[in-house]
Amino acid sequence: MGKRNKKVVKEEPLDLSKAEKILDKYEGVDGCLIPVLQQIQNAYGYLQEPAMNLVSERLNISVSEIIGVATFYAQFHLKPRGKHIIKVCCGTACHVKNSKNLSARIEKRFKIKKDETTEDKMFTFEEVPCVGACGIAPVVVFDKDVHGTLSPDKLDGVLDGYTK
Amino acid sequence: MINITIDNKLVSVPKGTNIFKAAKDNGIYIPGLCYHPKLTQYGGCRLCMVEVTERGRSRHRFSCAQPVAEGMVVKTNTPETEKYTKSVMEYLLAHHPLDCPTCDKSGECGLQEITHDLKLKPGRFKGARLDDPMRRDNPLLEYNSNRCILCSRCVKVCKEIAGVGAIDYQNRGFKTVVGTAFDKPLDCSFCGGCVSVCPTGSWQDRTLKFKARPWELKKTPTVCTYCAVGCSLVINTKDNEVMRVTADENINLGINESNLCVKGKFGHEFINSDKRVKTPLIKKGGKLRSASWDDALDHISKKFSEIIEKSGGNAIGGIGSEKCTNEDNYLFQKLCRTVLGTNYIDNISNMKSPSLNRLINNSVAYGMASTSLEGIENADTVFFVGADVSEAHPVAGSMVRKAIRVNKTKVIIANVRNVEFGCETKDLLRLNYKLGTQTALINAMIKVIVDEKLVNLKKAADKTENFSELRSFLRSSDLGIKKVSKATNIPEDSIRAAASSIAKAGNCYVICGKDIEEDPSGEETIEALMNLCALVNKGDSDKVSIVFSRQNNNSQGVNDMGVVPEFLPGYLDINDQENRAVVEESWDAKLPAVLKNSPGDIFDLAVKKKIKAIYVMGENPIVNYPNGKKVNDAFKKAEFVVVQDSFLTETAQLADVVLPSSTFAEKGGTFTNMVMTVQRLHKAIPQVGDSKPDWQIICNLAEKMGHEFDYTTSKDIVDEIGKSVPIYEGIEVNRLRRKGFHWILSLYYKTKAEKYQFEIARKKTSAKKGNTKYPFTLLTGSSLRHQGTYSRNSESLVSLASECFVEINRQDAKKAKIVDGDNVKIESAQGNIKLKAKTTGRVPEGAVFVSEDYEWVPVNNLRGDGYTNVKISKTK
Ligand code: SF4
Ligand code: SF4
Ligand code: SF4
Ligand code: FES
Ligand code: FES
Repeated sequence: MGKRNKKVVKEEPLDLSKAEKILDKYEGVDGCLIPVLQQIQNAYGYLQEPAMNLVSERLNISVSEIIGVATFYAQFHLKPRGKHIIKVCCGTACHVKNSKNLSARIEKRFKIKKDETTEDKMFTFEEVPCVGACGIAPVVVFDKDVHGTLSPDKLDGVLDGYTK
Repeated sequence: MINITIDNKLVSVPKGTNIFKAAKDNGIYIPGLCYHPKLTQYGGCRLCMVEVTERGRSRHRFSCAQPVAEGMVVKTNTPETEKYTKSVMEYLLAHHPLDCPTCDKSGECGLQEITHDLKLKPGRFKGARLDDPMRRDNPLLEYNSNRCILCSRCVKVCKEIAGVGAIDYQNRGFKTVVGTAFDKPLDCSFCGGCVSVCPTGSWQDRTLKFKARPWELKKTPTVCTYCAVGCSLVINTKDNEVMRVTADENINLGINESNLCVKGKFGHEFINSDKRVKTPLIKKGGKLRSASWDDALDHISKKFSEIIEKSGGNAIGGIGSEKCTNEDNYLFQKLCRTVLGTNYIDNISNMKSPSLNRLINNSVAYGMASTSLEGIENADTVFFVGADVSEAHPVAGSMVRKAIRVNKTKVIIANVRNVEFGCETKDLLRLNYKLGTQTALINAMIKVIVDEKLVNLKKAADKTENFSELRSFLRSSDLGIKKVSKATNIPEDSIRAAASSIAKAGNCYVICGKDIEEDPSGEETIEALMNLCALVNKGDSDKVSIVFSRQNNNSQGVNDMGVVPEFLPGYLDINDQENRAVVEESWDAKLPAVLKNSPGDIFDLAVKKKIKAIYVMGENPIVNYPNGKKVNDAFKKAEFVVVQDSFLTETAQLADVVLPSSTFAEKGGTFTNMVMTVQRLHKAIPQVGDSKPDWQIICNLAEKMGHEFDYTTSKDIVDEIGKSVPIYEGIEVNRLRRKGFHWILSLYYKTKAEKYQFEIARKKTSAKKGNTKYPFTLLTGSSLRHQGTYSRNSESLVSLASECFVEINRQDAKKAKIVDGDNVKIESAQGNIKLKAKTTGRVPEGAVFVSEDYEWVPVNNLRGDGYTNVKISKTK
């Protein structure tokens, strides 16, 4: 019986040249962490460890502090995100109108939890504070499309429209 | 000073003090959990509300955030403040798990105390209690985020004092926790600062787990036994066993502001280790067997007497200890000289750098030696030369970080390696020189200062003996900045920048490290360094001082006590008739006759069989002495070896008799740190097993050999030292109780500094030679997590750092196809060892680095005299 060779998937080392360029631009500028993180996220999709180590080295800020900042702001992501972002509003109005049930439906349908991404990297599910459309609560925002007065079943219908 | 009234008490405090501290320093209590006097102010816990009345107007203020102002009237406890503080506590406790019965902090917890003081009842809020799992990802610390009140003390201590920044707030709002980036296991310097400052039970010392409750612990302040910083620490014991070490009881105790490093904080388990030698041992039939004190001492006395009779006292060599107290060492040399009658006594630090004592004493005579390590906190410039402060003297590193925070101090680090120094300053200048070019670097800096007239040269010339000689020396073409820049591999601008920062007026500390002191050309480099300091001091203002960073807790003291062949205690020339007469009279004993030739190295003489017996106190030369082959040979050839130690070290295993000595926790006495501050130890527990303090063993042996060494306590010896060692004159135990005794300082009071004489290097430093067979240079140095026998026998330190790595430059590793974790054989002409590889950018190409402090790794077996060349190869 031969040993089964487990395929070791070697992670491609991250090409840091884009991050280097961004950091070069901010050389010696005080208080530049947030713009640097924003641009790195734009360039790489999310904030990855090797890039954060580089930022730490170049800006002389500890990685824990950088990630502290990154996890404070909702705009930064430490995990890869899907092609489409589904946001369920959890603001007061939507909450009162049972937006929780919408979240539950999404979790069931895609088999992911809040802030997770489907395995095929197609969908990311997030919960967000009031999106400013309380009149049509409960609200789900699919990428840039706003869908209001939803029920779980109605939501399924809306999602079918995107997935089929 | 500013005068204010707090709760009807008039107090007067320095300007800039906040109300919280002003109250606390004057014995007035204000609740508060986030403010800590050694950290930057934060104002996050909101508990310290007081009522402040100024110019007839009363307002409520957070006392930790409000600086005092003349005439302020403060009330700390009014119905309003109480109501406010109570409701803040209610919020803080709303999420808290209230799991005090299972919390080790219970009994010394700030949160618990305030709850008690305010007589709080169950709160109105029934919010969600936090329920995150306890984190145990390392052997020393555990973290329970549920108990955290987000006071930020741990985050600040880690960043500001440890200089690590391993932890910070992660996430936002209710989910905020203190954590590492990407939730990785904690990988930091493990200084324990976070446990010390945490006012709740979030951070815990795992080594204390289930061993004792805080109120059961007896606390004894004493001095750390590892490095030469000399931190004060508090040994916590229960039932005569050491349970933990703390330091935060009193921030004013000693010099370290209650900061410690991993060894001081967690490296205490050796004291009660099972591996302690608990009875005397005598070798019979090739095996060491347990014996009584009487038999062991009889045996030694008989053997020594035989050898003395047959070959004279000089056939016995004594090695004193960098770790034992001054009192131990003082008696050791007294015994060796007067009872055994030998001139051959020495200590490892002197054997490694034989010119260091002379150079340090010069620096004292010229008034350049620093008198206070904590004074570094007021420095404007700190220049590290061949000193790896983060690994060797961690708490000194914290002092420099404080200086940077408070004074924006400029830090210059000159080293062969790109040594680590955690701090967030942009003002860090690195001079990573090529090995062997350090003297040229310093001389080039001197030349820049002179050529560019960065100091008043006329003044410098007037106030020194031979400035013109220095000038003509500097004219030599090798010192041109272009040439030196090329040779050292340091950009010209950096050399210039370093020179001008040092020449700039302001307090400057030059810290000379082991890499210089133990280098074959160390003497010249140090002389050049002193020239540099003198030039600036004389040409500007006396603001530059120099510190020679010794390695061990008492490396300075062992030399002060005269455990060196050429000096009697206090650096009195042993060949000077007058000195001899004075000492002989005060000891009422004869010194051995003056040697005709300069005394050689004890190990050399033992190899040549001129020395027949070796008596070692508290050292493990088989491992510590740089030339492993020679020392092994010496011990094998010696007829009779006595080792006095707490553990069965490699050297003790070769001994004919082993005498069990007590550790620092079991005795009184004094240690002298690297700036000659003499600090007092206090006995925390009774002697373990049958062990005895070294000084007592020596008294007993002397008695056996027919001499009366009549000392009942270590205090008697301190008194004698105060009388017979000139530099320690005036040391009294009472004075020591309050603050350390600074012998340089007391010398500065008594004597005027000598006029400076520039030392002009006459011989050329022999350049480091390449070697094709052994293409790498072996660099060795200190380690943060280990330091010899003691750390090796402290389980927690070993589980934290169980592996000594050979550090290899990334490029070299790539060429040799070595990756992290590979086994690597390191071979020199003397021998070889095998270690796991760690690739790094900190070691330059063409060199490998191995720490000397992992006692089980015999790296010194590779070394001969001078630089060591090695080759490396990947192995199984
Ligand atoms: S032990 Fe020291 S270095 Fe480690 S996290 Fe705590 S404060 Fe930071
Ligand atoms: S862990 Fe302790 S020190 Fe750190 S923020 Fe929480 S309560 Fe404060
Ligand atoms: S810095 Fe030195 S003296 Fe201080 S705790 Fe660490 S080892 Fe001990
Ligand atoms: S609460 Fe959902 S849109 Fe405002
Ligand atoms: S002590 Fe003042 S706010 Fe915490």
